[in-house]
Amino acid sequence: MTRQEAEIVLQKTFRLPKFYDEQWQAIEKILRGEKVLLIEKTGFGKSLCFQFPASVFDGTTVIFSPLIALMRDQVKKLTSLGISAKCINSEQTPEQNSQIINEAKQGKVKILYIAPERQENNEWIEATQQMNLSMVVIDEAHCISVWGHDFRPAFKRIINLVKLLPQALPVLATTATATKRVEQDIVQQIGKNISTIRGNLMRENFRLFVVKVNSEDEKLMWLGENIPRLPGSGVLYTGTRVDTEIYSKWFEYLGISSTGYNAGLDAESRIAIENGLMKNEWKCIISTNALGMGIDKPDIRFIIHTQIPQSPIHYYQEIGRAGRDGEPSTIILFYNPEDKKLPESFIEGGKPSVKKYERVIAAIKTELLGQQELMKRTNLKQTPIRVIKADLVEQGIIREVMIGGYKKYEFIPNSPPLNTQAFEALREAKLKELDSMIAYVATTGSRMKFLCDYLGDTADHAFTNCDNTGEKKIIVNSSPEWVQKLSAFRESYFPKLEVESSKSNMVNGVAASYYGVSNVGAAIHRCKYEQGGDFPDFLLKLVLKAFRKRFGQEQFDLVVYVPPTSSGDLVKNFAVKFAAVLKIPVSHNLVKLRATAAQKIFENAPLKSENVRNSFTYKEPVEIEGKSILLIDDVFDSGATIKEIGKVLTNFGAARIAPVVIAKTVGGDIV
Amino acid sequence: MTNEAAYWIALAHLPKWGHLKINNLIIKFFHENQISIIDFFSLSEYDWRKTYLLDDKQVTDLKQAKAELASNAFLAESFLSQGYEIIPITSPEYSKTLKKNLKTAHAPAVLYVKGNKKILNEQSIAIVGSRAASEKSLAFTDNVAKKASIDYKVVVSGFAKGVDKQALDSAIKYKGQSVIVLPQGIMTFASGFKTYYSQIINGDVLVVSTFFPKAPWKTELAMARNPIIYGLADEIYVAESSEKGGTWSGVIDGLRKGRKIYVRKPEAAEKNANNILIEKGAVPVDFSGREIAKAYPVLESQPVSMVQEPDESDSLDTKIRLAIDGRALTAKELLAKLALDWTAQKLNNYLKKLDFIEIVKEKKTNQYKLKGSKATTQSILFT
Repeated sequence: MTRQEAEIVLQKTFRLPKFYDEQWQAIEKILRGEKVLLIEKTGFGKSLCFQFPASVFDGTTVIFSPLIALMRDQVKKLTSLGISAKCINSEQTPEQNSQIINEAKQGKVKILYIAPERQENNEWIEATQQMNLSMVVIDEAHCISVWGHDFRPAFKRIINLVKLLPQALPVLATTATATKRVEQDIVQQIGKNISTIRGNLMRENFRLFVVKVNSEDEKLMWLGENIPRLPGSGVLYTGTRVDTEIYSKWFEYLGISSTGYNAGLDAESRIAIENGLMKNEWKCIISTNALGMGIDKPDIRFIIHTQIPQSPIHYYQEIGRAGRDGEPSTIILFYNPEDKKLPESFIEGGKPSVKKYERVIAAIKTELLGQQELMKRTNLKQTPIRVIKADLVEQGIIREVMIGGYKKYEFIPNSPPLNTQAFEALREAKLKELDSMIAYVATTGSRMKFLCDYLGDTADHAFTNCDNTGEKKIIVNSSPEWVQKLSAFRESYFPKLEVESSKSNMVNGVAASYYGVSNVGAAIHRCKYEQGGDFPDFLLKLVLKAFRKRFGQEQFDLVVYVPPTSSGDLVKNFAVKFAAVLKIPVSHNLVKLRATAAQKIFENAPLKSENVRNSFTYKEPVEIEGKSILLIDDVFDSGATIKEIGKVLTNFGAARIAPVVIAKTVGGDIV
Repeated sequence: MTNEAAYWIALAHLPKWGHLKINNLIIKFFHENQISIIDFFSLSEYDWRKTYLLDDKQVTDLKQAKAELASNAFLAESFLSQGYEIIPITSPEYSKTLKKNLKTAHAPAVLYVKGNKKILNEQSIAIVGSRAASEKSLAFTDNVAKKASIDYKVVVSGFAKGVDKQALDSAIKYKGQSVIVLPQGIMTFASGFKTYYSQIINGDVLVVSTFFPKAPWKTELAMARNPIIYGLADEIYVAESSEKGGTWSGVIDGLRKGRKIYVRKPEAAEKNANNILIEKGAVPVDFSGREIAKAYPVLESQPVSMVQEPDESDSLDTKIRLAIDGRALTAKELLAKLALDWTAQKLNNYLKKLDFIEIVKEKKTNQYKLKGSKATTQSILFT
């Protein structure tokens, strides 16, 4: 097919006038059955480089993509052009996925988007046996490389797949963010027959700013004052999940339309937010970097980071979504020297201790185990278990196998010993990248040039689009008015305890504060572990405030409290005082059936639940039958204890149980 | 080698080619022309015909196999990532014993394995016998497996109930090494991998299958697996056989191929066909698996040598040739003519595998005639 012929098809099918030269260069190779790595910036039109050939090939093109949002978006677009495109992902029901797999088997799907993890699925593998496959595409190919900013173990398998594919099958790997090192890594892994096409990464329409501050409060105040003044709508990236919550509550308090977005949301909420974003329903979306926001929205007008990312490449990737339409877009990075600690702790704490690795290896050597079983055997949390598993798979020490539809881990005989030097090298590389990110803050030269250089784009450009090269610098001055607003907000905002379930009559409760983000945590710690006496009165006041805010004038019949493990009568005394103020009777009849270990020694939720299972009872069931009950505790962590008690009280006939605690921990999932 | 996995899967399961044709093709491209399987598949149709003398059907089959390479790659990736391995017949890891015993005509083009594949090239014995074996046969199996384990010989068995299972369990009990030869695709053996997890990771068990990795268990596969068990073993011990079934036909097939087969000498009261096998040329052994001295008055008549006693299936093939004799027949008609105690379905399946038989569709029924002959069909004959 000549370019001229192809462009006639292009006009007819895609309603686009012509290809860019670099697009055609890639497409020509693909039509010849070659393998191509395409590195082009966001907005270049990478997707067309596989969508076009896919539309002219006879069979089905399979696209591995880690971004469900992006899959959905592209499928919508292709469908509107009359090209049969579908996606298979974990957010659809198994029935929906099976239906699509069936259509693919019958040759009814031209373009099929799937997550790399699907390669673990039996039904999918069996379906591929009946499919007529034309091409394989690896989107976000930087995920292949451990040196990239978003390494994903499932991509390793895609590399292995590519190596097994017949020689004449075209393969396209695409990314917008690959340093030279990542590029070489991808090329080396895929093998000798791949050619690279690299475009320039300069984004002329960006206006780049760095705002230096001295506290979290300064960020909150500047944003509260200035977000409404920024043109259009955009994205605010925060460092943690808790921060997305705090920022959205703050904006809510100020009447700025916004919504939070993080990996903890269910699929339905995420889809609703993505759709709302497309329709500019909010001034801003507040998100963690857990989601690449793989959304083809042309007019994201600003992207602001309240937290410094781990590396310039993370940063380039995250700001890359702004201004795809080429119109001016504002890019702001806040930096408080303290902020360095979070990415540092990610890097330093990214790897569990060697002992934990050994514990996992020893467990898998004796038994074929699934993830849950592995967590129980080793008393490790989900996050370290995942990291350890991925590393051990990567190092060829264990492998994943499917046993009766369940994923299990098996030891590989004669495998090499754990290589901790590899972790060390990676850790040092990451610390160096973080230093480069700090250097971006400090640079007095062009910020865009800094990013392009870092990414290996050495082409010459006129760089005049940042606060070092012509744009006015942003300086933060907090007015007393804003200081006042912020402190009023702080005293009116209380974290929610999500405990509602169909298994008990519990309702969502409230905490007076987050543990660790204010003086509340320190006060609790003093009392519990340093013989500091009863919980101080300011905690009682704050808890009462939180209670009123959450439950208003709702009536309760009885106050009960969680019986202690070891810290004596602190909670009992606190509950008595609390009940006295509210003029509700307090009961001492919730008791332990057996001694339990302190919850904090268990590192994962299944073990915590097991520790407290069937360990409580209520001595006078009659007094709670049909009653509304307030359940008091000091610290809410995994919620396992509160939920267990909720079940017990429900079984004894309590009509409603509302937990109220002094502090909720930030722990658990950060992003 | 792993990069060739999709190609080997394609070649090994070419429909109705049989081991001989596949192996001859491998010999030609790999040994004579010294090109890789990838290069062979990249050749033009013209080369396939001219250099490899392939006919229309074969070229069509190969083209189809080539079109399925991408699909095979998806399967192969899943297969390899779970620790299964594929050993082509061209690999030095392929069992030399198997090659020697089965030769070009019967050796499978690939072995799918999981576990310690070094076991494949150790000294080995197979213990075979009935699914419903007697206590005596199981105890014999235990004795033989024990002796093998002490002598560092690998015990090959077929993972069926009875003797097979006993052979495996005993080898494990005596800390010996075992090969399990599956009657199914290796990826469908998940529960087995769970059961024998520690033996596999400790290098004491190797699981082998020669069938398409996802093929479910089938009687035909169980039958086709028997020659592999015999082929993988240097010595064959029969604990108990009846006069038909897998063990029987396996031993008969082995004797026909000139293998030395040890059969447990039964006690007078036992009802099994062990003595008949001994009469047919198998070597009698005692309860501990020791060869019974020639002086032992076991054989009343001279053992019938292989040459004199043609194998049952060979003579059946001849009978079929004679029975058809220019006329296309249905399986039912053939059954009657051959006075065979088979179901029509079994004969149908058997006929389809014979390379000298051609199938003629008559209405909805299959009729069979000799290949190349101008047989008239029944319907024409009767008009």
